[in-house]
Amino acid sequence: MPRAARVDVAIVGAGLAGLTAARALVAAGRSVVVLEARDRVGGRTLNHDLGDGQVVEAGGQFVGPTQNHILGLAAELDVKTFPAYTEGEAVYVRGGRAKRYAGDVPPDPTALADVAVTMARIDRLARRIPLGAPWQARNAARLDAVTFDSWIRDTTVSAAGVDLVNIFFGSAYGGTAADASALFSLHYVAGMGDEDHPGSIARGIGVEGGAQQDRFVGGSQGVSLAMAEQLGDRVVLDAPVRAIDQNGRTVKLRTDAGVWQAGHAIVAVPPPLAGKISWSPLLPAPQAALFDRMPMGNLMKCEAVYDEPFWREDGLSGQATFRSPDSAICSMFDNTPPSGGPGVLMGFLGGRAWRALAHRPPRERRAAVLRTFARAVGREALRPRDYFEQDWSSEEWTRGGPTSVLAPGVLTALGAWRDRPFGLVHWAGAEHADYWNGYMDGAVRSGRDAAAAVIDVLEGTER
Amino acid sequence: MSMTELSETAVLAVPVERVWQVVSATNRYAEWVDGVFEVTDHHGEAEVGRTYAERNRTIGPLSTRSTWTVREIEPLTTRIDTGEGFAPLHEMTNVFRFRPVAVDGVEGAGTEMTYAVRYRVGLGPLGAVIDKVTQPGLRKAFQQSMRNLEDLIVAEGQ
Repeated sequence: MPRAARVDVAIVGAGLAGLTAARALVAAGRSVVVLEARDRVGGRTLNHDLGDGQVVEAGGQFVGPTQNHILGLAAELDVKTFPAYTEGEAVYVRGGRAKRYAGDVPPDPTALADVAVTMARIDRLARRIPLGAPWQARNAARLDAVTFDSWIRDTTVSAAGVDLVNIFFGSAYGGTAADASALFSLHYVAGMGDEDHPGSIARGIGVEGGAQQDRFVGGSQGVSLAMAEQLGDRVVLDAPVRAIDQNGRTVKLRTDAGVWQAGHAIVAVPPPLAGKISWSPLLPAPQAALFDRMPMGNLMKCEAVYDEPFWREDGLSGQATFRSPDSAICSMFDNTPPSGGPGVLMGFLGGRAWRALAHRPPRERRAAVLRTFARAVGREALRPRDYFEQDWSSEEWTRGGPTSVLAPGVLTALGAWRDRPFGLVHWAGAEHADYWNGYMDGAVRSGRDAAAAVIDVLEGTER
Repeated sequence: MSMTELSETAVLAVPVERVWQVVSATNRYAEWVDGVFEVTDHHGEAEVGRTYAERNRTIGPLSTRSTWTVREIEPLTTRIDTGEGFAPLHEMTNVFRFRPVAVDGVEGAGTEMTYAVRYRVGLGPLGAVIDKVTQPGLRKAFQQSMRNLEDLIVAEGQ
């Protein structure tokens, strides 16, 4: 086939990680091809067209302080940021009751002590987790033997601490604290920072000063689109990689669009999908076992579009948290474009709510979501002019979201295999990052790290 | 003790066909009937003679488990069920009646819904006291349920 030319490095996946790696390799003078299964680039970033040239994100969208890699990359590509809307009061919904509040502290006095204790404990212990080798943490075995839910409940009086964490994990994990190992979760929090700022759960949860502080003008997918434009025909769409063979000298990648040969490969897809590729030789058994045990969470983004952001006139920021196990939505944000219209409310439907609602008829699910929005901002929310959902679990080339969540026992037994190169194959993707694991920043970091590792090998070979 | 009957009526700004569709779904009562925590068993679209089960609110945080049998269906007009599990209320009968009405001058755009229950109270004089205390809450719950039903249908996009 005409495009079967040999390249220095073949990259699997044209999300942020894969494209970042490709860009770095091209800058280092290497020939690359990026093989993408979908008919688009961007992976878990995806713009939704609102008309009139405006977009809103159906995938990853927020950035904040210490996420220097995605922010730096966006700046290089002239993709600007703007602050998420925070003017006005937020709403805290517990059971059927909604309370407006200003500031960062939800108006739930009975929960505050437990929440404060839980957050302080998480941060204190997260600082003791070695980011590059969490399995070497003191008490790693004990922390990896229990779920994060059990760990929190062991030392709190009420369920408030777990409830707060679950509101956060509903979107961050697409699950709950009961799905994840305590060690994995503490490592996850430990990475919510950078080399100069230790991770903290407040930064992960927060809007101003936190991971939800800013958004990208033109949508987060714009970063990938800009990289793909620079890479030109090095990016091949509709080319799902079915098999990867390596013989110590070359890597052969068989796709639906043909076969490529490369000196090295970087696989930048979610770990469970990497495990589904036909490998020859087989992946090392522990690495295959790990990838099988890195399931993606279950997350749907639900967005309602209104002529105007009507809640703003009522003094509301459009932000709400829902502390109720049967709530369709765990958290809600004003996702209106920077122009100020149309008004968009976005809610995360994840974990337990996803399991309850994902299989229901779309009309019934829409009603559950809009009625949840209405609890926070009033009945006008019931009548959007448009409504759309993005269920990342039903995406063939993602199979869940926003990230992999490790159950107890996996990190200590198999975690060391996460980033270990397999012959000529290196790994990238948001799950292959220690800082901001599962976030856009983690994806960019992993892409840079993988590219640097391959360049090191290539330069070492050439010396 | 004689039978008690409570009845509340409301106009829902949604067509009767949609109201009937949702009311007929025996798996969906927890979504709109105030006081239903969950439907624990159901048979899909309501059929005469078949049952469904719920966990219902009683007083405060307490709940009860009830079983309902569909007794009468007159499409778009009437639905009658009988229920067990609400002691000290016995011989519980739930009646929904519907009638298309005009809303904002549009014929058939709305539904007049009557939500009624009939029951006999046990426990003698104590039961009578309980009944007296319970009635205002039930009436409020009927109105809330009909409001919920309207909101649900509006949110579904009709």
